[in-house]
Amino acid sequence: MPTWSLRLLRGRPGSPPRLETYRVALPAEAYLIDAVEKIWAEQDRSLLFRHACHHASCGACGVRVNGRERLMCITPLKEFDPERPVVVEPLGHFPWLGDLLVDVTPMMRRMSAVGFAIVRRDELTADRPLPEGVEQAVRFEDCIECGLCLSACPVMAADEAYLGPAALAAVERMLAEPRGGEVLRWIALADDPHGAWRCHSAMECTAVCPSNVDPASAIGRLRRRLIAEKVRRWIGGGR
Amino acid sequence: MSAHVVVIGAGSTGAATAHDLALRGFRVTVVERGEVASGTSGRNHCLLHSGGRYAMKDPESARECIVENMILRRLMPEALECNDGLFVALDERDLSFKEQFLAACAECGIPAREIPVGQALALEPHLNPGILAAVQVPDGVFEPFRFCLSFLATAKRNGAVVLTYTEVVDMVFQGRTVSGVRVRDRRTGEERVIGADIVVNAAGPWAGRIAAMAGVDVPVVPTAGVMISVGRRWNRMVINRLNLPGDGDIIVPQRRTAIIGTTSWRVEDPDFIPIPEDHVRLLLESAERFIPGYTRGGIRGVFAVARPLVGRRGVAADGRELSRTFECFDHAVDGVEGFVTITGGKMTTARAMAEKTVDVVCAKLGLEIPCRTHEVPLLSYRAFYD
Amino acid sequence: MRERSRWRGALGWADLRGRQEGGLAFLLMRLTGIGLAVYLFLHLYVLRLLAQGPEAWDAFIATAKSPLFLALDGVLFLGLLYHALNGVRVTLLGLGIAVPHQARLFWGVMALTLLTTGIALYALFVLVG
Repeated sequence: MPTWSLRLLRGRPGSPPRLETYRVALPAEAYLIDAVEKIWAEQDRSLLFRHACHHASCGACGVRVNGRERLMCITPLKEFDPERPVVVEPLGHFPWLGDLLVDVTPMMRRMSAVGFAIVRRDELTADRPLPEGVEQAVRFEDCIECGLCLSACPVMAADEAYLGPAALAAVERMLAEPRGGEVLRWIALADDPHGAWRCHSAMECTAVCPSNVDPASAIGRLRRRLIAEKVRRWIGGGR
Repeated sequence: MSAHVVVIGAGSTGAATAHDLALRGFRVTVVERGEVASGTSGRNHCLLHSGGRYAMKDPESARECIVENMILRRLMPEALECNDGLFVALDERDLSFKEQFLAACAECGIPAREIPVGQALALEPHLNPGILAAVQVPDGVFEPFRFCLSFLATAKRNGAVVLTYTEVVDMVFQGRTVSGVRVRDRRTGEERVIGADIVVNAAGPWAGRIAAMAGVDVPVVPTAGVMISVGRRWNRMVINRLNLPGDGDIIVPQRRTAIIGTTSWRVEDPDFIPIPEDHVRLLLESAERFIPGYTRGGIRGVFAVARPLVGRRGVAADGRELSRTFECFDHAVDGVEGFVTITGGKMTTARAMAEKTVDVVCAKLGLEIPCRTHEVPLLSYRAFYD
Repeated sequence: MRERSRWRGALGWADLRGRQEGGLAFLLMRLTGIGLAVYLFLHLYVLRLLAQGPEAWDAFIATAKSPLFLALDGVLFLGLLYHALNGVRVTLLGLGIAVPHQARLFWGVMALTLLTTGIALYALFVLVG
């Protein structure tokens, strides 16, 4: 069984964090979350990290792995060379609570402001007959609210009021499937200097998204919708 | 001033118990050593049980499941994928269970209905075309993390305090009565005592460790299971094998992915569970029997967690023989007052577990407050962060 | 999100660890943008010489023909071209067009920028110089 070397960012707010090296024996089939959980279980019970589902559904275990935003639960150890330490740091652009733990409240508040439902009409299997007694086929929204896109977005670094990729993608989803909801409020939320127009197309949100959301494309579609809306208002003399 | 109850654990049981307590007017503090749902609840199979899975062997648990399934659809309609489930017979032996299965479902009140194989294949075109029978049941899929957050969000709105990254290090006694818990804030390392009129132990597979701090014994049998997440969804409904519950007999779709489960073996330490490689192989092979080519989408993740089954005398070591029903222990019978343990059960039955537990808490305090959790819709999980 | 965060303001733009083409393109866009803004003021400053009569201007033009100055012109050209071409790329991407091809577009912008700058330098040094 190979022994992996991990450099975890450790510390608490108030003093500068440091990288500490841990060695942990696990089979190559294991995942980064297993390594971190094993370090917590067997070496250092003070280690703070978030995790829940271990299958990329809850979005809790986002970190920066060698600088890149990843979910620990779907980052296989076999990607790494046991000889070279894997550097694990907390997500950026969130308040830091200690070790690998950040406070996701700012993101959740943004998502609450959009207020989108977590279930959508299922388009993946829409071509099939419905089971008797089931009114419509549904599935969960793609976005798992892990915050990887917020951490990877360079605009977030310098504009803390920016709505951010996840929430903008959520607005776009709501406008695409409004279900009688507050269309004008969503448009107002996105049509703001810190909304859809703040995006500078660094495309890193889509590059790191673990859940097929593709926020960069969503923001593009959202802008087209906003422009169409503006043109319509302009021609129609406003409303 | 109403009584103060400390709930240990913010998994599904602790979360639902906190909600029930807060709704009945108690002052509530939840202490959880890690993130919400970072133990058994999070690493869930995500199956909203119709009860079909237990109808033949564990009817008590099956009845609880179908009742709670219907309640949860009302409480958190927007947090469930309710596309029903299919039990399919893959071979003659499976087929031989069909009549027994339909009868057992009827007995437990589960609306199960046999549908022609052709119709099942139309609903689920990727299903193995060689299936011999299909039965439709009201299975569903939930989001375990958000499931717990919804209960906690509603509890918080009703005044409960939720302390995550706060670990119980000891029980505090007054004579033979538990009067509080000593906790360590894992962020600061500081320890303090939280006083309580009643302490509820909802620590899942760790309930035995917590109970030991109070000097009592709880027959929890941590029974691990492996699950595999695959990167592509081939089925819309939950697919089960029409047989007695066994290894690798269920595929739960979720979002654009799916989870293949599960296995069962007894573990000593639920803190870290190494994954046996042969279990992974077995699960992959089983999934291929349901839906050929299932694993072409690639494996996304492999995970294991311990179920907190309630032990009884003379049971097999693998845990398949243990009931999935729950049990609430008032440790007054062990000579310790002010301390209640709730364990066993399924995530699907978390609300019922909470109801039973809070009934016990009320009885201990000589109160008669009716439970309302079956009729009060839950807040969005996002309200947890308000 | 400032409170107790590891928030580094504009320095965050320069953290390229883990970033891909899009992040690099964004950083270069910011740097060339800042560079061009600074150049604009230099340019206006130099233009004021025109008001001081032909001697002053001719003297400046003589310096501007030195190899060092021509090399600086090359750098300016490089930054200007990148900013303009990537501006087209970002406009398309910002409207959700060609998103799956964003990385290839970036390398295309880079290639075109370098090639055109090379031709411009050749023209400056060999043909004019």
